[in-house]
Amino acid sequence: MADEVEQVGVESTFLLMFYVNLCAKHQTTTNTVEEPLDLIRLSLDERIYVKMRNDRELRGRLHAYDQHLNMILGDVEETVTTVEIDEETYEEIYKSTKRNIPMLFVRGDGVVLVAPPLRVG
Amino acid sequence: MAELQRGIMSLRKQTPSDFLKQIIGRPVVVKLNSGVDYRGVLACLDGYMNIAVEQTEEYVNGQLKNKYGDAFLRGNNVLYISTQKRKM
Repeated sequence: MADEVEQVGVESTFLLMFYVNLCAKHQTTTNTVEEPLDLIRLSLDERIYVKMRNDRELRGRLHAYDQHLNMILGDVEETVTTVEIDEETYEEIYKSTKRNIPMLFVRGDGVVLVAPPLRVG
Repeated sequence: MAELQRGIMSLRKQTPSDFLKQIIGRPVVVKLNSGVDYRGVLACLDGYMNIAVEQTEEYVNGQLKNKYGDAFLRGNNVLYISTQKRKM
């Protein structure tokens, strides 16, 4: 009885090792470097900061995105920054306009940068 | 002369994708079409030149914003990616 148990033990250990080896191989192949888009996936349902073309910035909660960086953002605050140049003094006057949007679809081609919200230092 | 040129070519010959694989993990400078500069450690990138950078700093004329953690740059805006010898 003890012999049989031992025999089964050896065989199943062999099988187990074979299986683990297979799994390990699978893990090394899928452990390849993730794409930047995979890392954006980690920010889903988190608040993010998006820099866009035309001096626009968005701060909102990321609900969805795709490979074009089209995004669905909730509870968004949009900031539009303009620079006015005084004709006489030539000084640059920075103005920003903000507005709040409950739910927003962002077309991906306008997106420049995506990041967790800025911690102003 | 032709042999010399071929020798030099074989030393330097490297597809862009080989370069991209090599520089992951290194400090890089990414310049966008808009002229904005981003410096940080290259986390990863893909064939569209979408980039993920860590410990990013944004430079326009002077230093503007600091982004800690990952910053993702959309590939179509990228002008170039260059390695930098970090001088502390």
